[in-house]
Amino acid sequence: MKIRWSRTILLLTPATLLAAMLFVYPVFGVLSLTVHDGTSFTGEPIRQVFNSQLSIIVLQRTFVTAATVTLICLLMGYPMAYFMAGLSPRKRVLATYLILLPFWISVLIRTYTWIILLGREGILNKALVAIGLTAEPIQLLYTPFAVHIGMVQILLPIVILTCLTSILDVERDLVKAARILGATPAQAFWKVLFPLSVSGAATGGIICFILCLGFFVTPTLLGGRTSLLIANLIDLQVHKTLKWDLAAVMASAMLAATFTCLLAYWMLTRKRAEFATGGLAR
Amino acid sequence: MTRIVLLVYFVLVTGFLLLPLIFLLPISLTNSQFLEFPPKSLSLRWYREFFIDQSWVDATLVSLKIGFGATAISLLLGTLASVALVRSNFRLKGILTAIFIAPLIIPSVVIALALYIVFLRWRLVNNIYALTIAHAMIAMPYVVMIITGSLRRFDMTIERAARILGATPVRAFIHTTLPFLTPALFASGILAFFASFDELIITLFISGGLQTLPVRIWNDLSLKLDPTVPAVAVMLTLVSILGMTVGEIARRRNERRYQSNPISEA
Repeated sequence: MKIRWSRTILLLTPATLLAAMLFVYPVFGVLSLTVHDGTSFTGEPIRQVFNSQLSIIVLQRTFVTAATVTLICLLMGYPMAYFMAGLSPRKRVLATYLILLPFWISVLIRTYTWIILLGREGILNKALVAIGLTAEPIQLLYTPFAVHIGMVQILLPIVILTCLTSILDVERDLVKAARILGATPAQAFWKVLFPLSVSGAATGGIICFILCLGFFVTPTLLGGRTSLLIANLIDLQVHKTLKWDLAAVMASAMLAATFTCLLAYWMLTRKRAEFATGGLAR
Repeated sequence: MTRIVLLVYFVLVTGFLLLPLIFLLPISLTNSQFLEFPPKSLSLRWYREFFIDQSWVDATLVSLKIGFGATAISLLLGTLASVALVRSNFRLKGILTAIFIAPLIIPSVVIALALYIVFLRWRLVNNIYALTIAHAMIAMPYVVMIITGSLRRFDMTIERAARILGATPVRAFIHTTLPFLTPALFASGILAFFASFDELIITLFISGGLQTLPVRIWNDLSLKLDPTVPAVAVMLTLVSILGMTVGEIARRRNERRYQSNPISEA
């Protein structure tokens, strides 16, 4: 049933006002801060960021960390999803619940537990010493290692679930056909299932990468001074050095990266429906 | 053979994912001043400490107030907008939907910075109402996604029948579509509430001196490792698992109800 124009506008106005005042307008404000100092256009903030060694290093580090974490998540997540796809539907639901369980705990608390687990007096160090792998407790906390562990723990469920969907989307008959035509299970996997599900897994990777870019809590709590990411730098520039224009440039860089990823995501998903079924489009 | 290797791998990775959950409970039950594992003696000392310490109680109350306020606002605005998004066609529909959902995808720190700058100008920093409305904006994507999804599955003939029988549009909506939407409203309400209840970064930027529960935990963490935090964490975890389970049950019950409803098959 179509509704009248006046009613549509009435229904949309409150939500649109909220989004416009608290989202669109402020975000455009940040974008404009990068090229406009309030009275006239300027290239100063962008120039300053490019001349600042710290900003460049942090930007680089953020992208490298995001890429590494995404890669780890995909490598760990795909086999998990493959295993889950082979389960009976009932068991699969149970497995999905297990995977999603940590999702219900706030990121803050999940990160916090790693402080206890990875500390000098922490459980992991005690275990390592007890087995005799190291004589002295080793420094785990406040290292890039800890940041990576914390981020993977938070993001892995998302990647597992997107991989699972993409594997389940593949037309089962195609794998069966390959087997009938004489392919070994390994060949059927590498030549049929994997190529057909990899683009779906890639969309999971893109989401993971976007989320990585914005990480704030994990690098602050688990990383040392050498693990600051963009979000931390923005926080510092706003609250400590009061350089809002530089913070705005960093935030805009993040936005640009996010949109680029979303574009890639959109292009991947648009092609996927026909791709995963290998032309057997329903 | 491959299946067994995969099974072992699955157990290991799931263990890794659940690691924080497994250790949190025993740690929270310690009796000592310090975080330790395994605890030397068990007690509920730090749980008691939470309820005695006024700053923890205050932070919880602030979080609850903002959470309920933000949920109410996002549910109301989100549902109204969803009805328009599903039931009418206009040129900006795609863009508008994208804008409503975008706060979910855009990194929070960008929104935090953006809001901080405008809130300073509007003198809204350290204002609990402004914070509530900001949280409503963060929570709205969940409402819009779930309610539009649910509305698309609703059989419009039922509402049309009510209209033909003489009900006003609002009355028809309230008596036919709204009951159908109740579980979806409930589920999105729970998600919206936790989106607000867990929100840290934006709150850190725009709350001024106001302490919500996550901000209270955050401030605690940067000073020392206080054993109250694991106790709070366990309680929060129980609350969110409870909330999500209730939401899931509501969703399933609804699915069953409307699948076996003969009218919708007509």
